[in-house]
Amino acid sequence: MIRSLAGRVCVTLLLMSAPVLAHHSAAGIDRTKTQVVTGTVKEFRWTNPHSWIDLDVADDKGVTQTWSVEMTSPAFLVRAGWKSSTIKAGDKVSITLRPFRNGDPGGLFVSVTLPDGRVLGERSAAPPAQP
Amino acid sequence: MIKISAATLAVAILLVQPMRAQAPAPPAQAPALPLGALAPTNLAKPRPKPPFDLTGVWLHAGGPNNGFRFSPPPGFKLTPEAQVHYDAAQKAQKEGKVYRDDIGQCWPAGLPVIMTRVWPIAMMQYPTVIYMVSEFMNSLRIVYMDGRPHSDPDVVVPSFNGESIGRWDGDALVIDTMHFVGHHHWIDSGIPASTALHIVERVRMINEGKTLEIEYTLSDPKSWEGEWKMTKRWNRQDDRDIAEVSCLPDLNDHMPSTRSQDNVR
Repeated sequence: MIRSLAGRVCVTLLLMSAPVLAHHSAAGIDRTKTQVVTGTVKEFRWTNPHSWIDLDVADDKGVTQTWSVEMTSPAFLVRAGWKSSTIKAGDKVSITLRPFRNGDPGGLFVSVTLPDGRVLGERSAAPPAQP
Repeated sequence: MIKISAATLAVAILLVQPMRAQAPAPPAQAPALPLGALAPTNLAKPRPKPPFDLTGVWLHAGGPNNGFRFSPPPGFKLTPEAQVHYDAAQKAQKEGKVYRDDIGQCWPAGLPVIMTRVWPIAMMQYPTVIYMVSEFMNSLRIVYMDGRPHSDPDVVVPSFNGESIGRWDGDALVIDTMHFVGHHHWIDSGIPASTALHIVERVRMINEGKTLEIEYTLSDPKSWEGEWKMTKRWNRQDDRDIAEVSCLPDLNDHMPSTRSQDNVR
């Protein structure tokens, strides 16, 4: 539990210290907020310049919407412990994201809780490679 | 009905062909071309030993006083043409939108922005030239080090990263860059780069070769008054390679941060 919390704090600090995206401005995103959505992975795309997850999320009334969650590049994700097989369609996961200001289903990825309970962010503070 | 026999046709073609093949006016005297930067005879010319070697992968370091944006300094004064864009960008920001996010629409970032995209840059240093390839859209920047001057403005093809000419100055590398594209090219949100943009970079290797520091001097008399100065730092990334990265319109359509409804064109 403490490790998990430390991990979350670490992820948050890293996000504050570096821009999540250096591709574009992400003006529609509210970077001051985080939101947790739980659902079923529809698609996980391992691609440059950004990976992304489409997550089917049912609301209180049972209506399912697909949330588009934008991630950083695979090179950064690998350093945070990701592989292209880390999640796949059909997996049930919870995603913490920075949401759209206007409530549209989607946002920028912060972290995911995998079916086995592991929490992965998108950046790590891994030490530099040794010679 | 007029019948054209094959023989008639052949004669007609023969009559026409010599006219086409007539020698054109003699070409203007072609200028003598200088040696390419990678020509072995150019590489082999004797030159002083450079104070450092940039070869490696570098990533903008972030941290205090090292933001990735090339924000204008306090008290900056824009030209009336640039002010229109700046005001529109401020208005868009207040509305939770972004003004002309051309990079998000696959336009090249261009210099200086490409240097701090928080994507690694592979640098390869030769005696005559330094190549910089950003992982971000694999943007190529070439810094000529073989003593050539800037190109004739009447000949040069403007580009987003401009034409860079470098020279060693003591413990520093000084790079002078001009001949930029002046459309869809931004210094910061609402700050347009024009064809008059001129960038001087003073590059130093510090922290025992682990950190690159560049002092920027930016001027663009069509967009702002005077010179803007700022300093940025990069860290060496020995555990990284760069990959192929392309801007893909269909991917952009899918990205929450590039969707068109948040963009003011």
